[in-house]
Amino acid sequence: MALVLPLVLGSCGRIDRSRSVVVWEQMDPKEQEQFDLHLAAFRLAHPEFAEFDIHRVHYRTEDLRTQYQTAALAYGGPNLVYGPADQIGPFSIMGLLLPVEELLPRTEIDRFDPVTLPILDGHVYGLPDQVGNHLTLVANLALVDEVAADTDTWLEQLRETTLDTDGDGRADQYGLVFNLLEPFWLIPWLGGYGGWVMNDQAQPTLDTPAMVGALDFLSGLKQEGLVPRECDYPLADTIFKEGRAAYIVNGPWSWEAYREAGLEIALAPLPMVTSTGLWPSPMTAAKCYSVNRYLDPETRECTAALLAWLTSTEVQVELAMTLSVLPADREARLRPEIQSDPTLDASRAQIEKGRLMPIVPEMRAMWDAMRPGYQGVMNGDLTSSEAARRMQTKAVGDIERMRE
Amino acid sequence: MSLQRRETKLAFWFLLPVAVVLLGVVAYPFFFNVYISLTNWNMFHFRDPHLIGLRHYLRLFAESDFWMIFGKTFLWTAVNLVFHFTLGLGAALLLNRKLPGRSIYRALLILPWAVPQYISALTWRGMFNSEYGAVNLILAKLGWLGLGPLSWFGGEWSAFSAAVITNIWLGFPFIMVIALGGLQSIPQELYEAARIDGAGPVRRFFSITLPMLKPVLMPALILGTIWTFNNLNVIWLVTDQGLPADKSHILVTYVYKAAFFYYRYGYAAAFSVFIFLVLLLIVQGYNKAAKAGEAY
Repeated sequence: MALVLPLVLGSCGRIDRSRSVVVWEQMDPKEQEQFDLHLAAFRLAHPEFAEFDIHRVHYRTEDLRTQYQTAALAYGGPNLVYGPADQIGPFSIMGLLLPVEELLPRTEIDRFDPVTLPILDGHVYGLPDQVGNHLTLVANLALVDEVAADTDTWLEQLRETTLDTDGDGRADQYGLVFNLLEPFWLIPWLGGYGGWVMNDQAQPTLDTPAMVGALDFLSGLKQEGLVPRECDYPLADTIFKEGRAAYIVNGPWSWEAYREAGLEIALAPLPMVTSTGLWPSPMTAAKCYSVNRYLDPETRECTAALLAWLTSTEVQVELAMTLSVLPADREARLRPEIQSDPTLDASRAQIEKGRLMPIVPEMRAMWDAMRPGYQGVMNGDLTSSEAARRMQTKAVGDIERMRE
Repeated sequence: MSLQRRETKLAFWFLLPVAVVLLGVVAYPFFFNVYISLTNWNMFHFRDPHLIGLRHYLRLFAESDFWMIFGKTFLWTAVNLVFHFTLGLGAALLLNRKLPGRSIYRALLILPWAVPQYISALTWRGMFNSEYGAVNLILAKLGWLGLGPLSWFGGEWSAFSAAVITNIWLGFPFIMVIALGGLQSIPQELYEAARIDGAGPVRRFFSITLPMLKPVLMPALILGTIWTFNNLNVIWLVTDQGLPADKSHILVTYVYKAAFFYYRYGYAAAFSVFIFLVLLLIVQGYNKAAKAGEAY
């Protein structure tokens, strides 16, 4: 014990929170690369903060959420936490975040498109560096000449491009691949049938004809064999990258990888639902930097400067051009290079038809309520109307239990 | 001060650091968990939880899913243990013989245990994919046996079976290693004497091997029970958080979800206390059974 203890204590570097500015993030590798470049630029531009050890720590999305809760509970954690805006709801209710207006002047906040800001009870709990995270239709131009604009045309294309070339009864090429397990892929169609997940009072609105219509439409694709029988995200991604699917429904994080895989792709809004005349409405979300309520006062100035830098107009333009994401900064959106980029243009076209993801904590219960119903219908275990009824019951019950 | 008293005092000082560490890392978290279970600590009362008595414990038993998950946890533990012990002991008996290439077999059989559980679980999940997974491709080749491709994660019990198969594969090498060590310490004279007395292989196994292995197998059984009962990784990763539709949960995965997905800390703490009590009863049962066995 006497031998081990000094060894353990000696090997643990003591972290001086007053001289350390840490960002916890859940960025993908390309975002991390960009972050490191922008951090290096920040260090050069702000020699007055040279004494601070500024660095980032990467977590997976779920780990980031649980780790931050645990750390902030003990009045610790990073200075800034970065991730999709939906994690801000629970964090702010738990009292773990500092409203941005307490750190930065109002002019810094007014730069942003107001709909992209995570505002709860009148306070801004984060500043976005990009907006999107939205699902879009991605077509493999080697298999389809023109991207369908409505579901009737689209279904015809899907039937034509689903092929069993070796005659073993299993399709070797699919019309469409997408994640059949996560309800995030159900949401656009819920909008396409005229529904939405909750009302303005954050009460679930899942047991509706719109939900039944959306579930019927998606399960119909599976029953016809136009999508693989069992398809999670990695499988859908792999099939599409291998060039064995005409379409995939996926977000901005994936497009570059498809191009790198040698595919010629076209981006387009998800096709309009012919029977309703409505466009599918994927959920859109900003990715934000939020401020830890318990940051060390000594690091306050450096944290504020870093936050302003990482969400600045220049950084957002750079991110938009390299990651194909849309800026949340109004001035950045007006830049000619952003306006003329075809990928961003297609992305913008889809975002305009999307709806912002509610950032209330009840959304967690909504996802968990929709998941079993969605999976049940796609497995053929539930009818669409039964699934919609169960989703509603579970969502109401889970929200109630969250408050106990 | 007498020598004996001085020695006692010295022993006390030697034990003190360990006692302090145990108090800090075992006793304090345990009692803090019991305290949390009696509060309304959740997302909305993150900084101001207050005592609400036994409400969470009552809620636990009233939830419709609880008894199903409870039963499934026992089934999960029992099936895994039966296979871990049967396969582990069987493999150990084979490897205890003089076989050509024994060390190669031993290394291969230990392999599932050596691979990180996380990687194994995710690999098995891929292998159970209904369309592209190796398991179904093999089943398709055996089509003449009437076995078609299965949608493993499409049904409650098939998903559960997939997790069980994975955990059997992961768990039996542990018992094999333990049993092999025990087998090598059994004096060969006992077997020779039994042979002279005319005892056959079955008699020798039940009268010599099994009783002599009991001191090593009993702790392995207790550990195996606790580990399997509390095995979060395999169910969580293989069934992708409870596929299909949250139906393949066991108690620990259910608690994990309540705590870290719904922020129901008080409720999850109550659940954890319940799991602890169940395991305590099981271990007590094993100990009693072991002591009763020693009486013979």
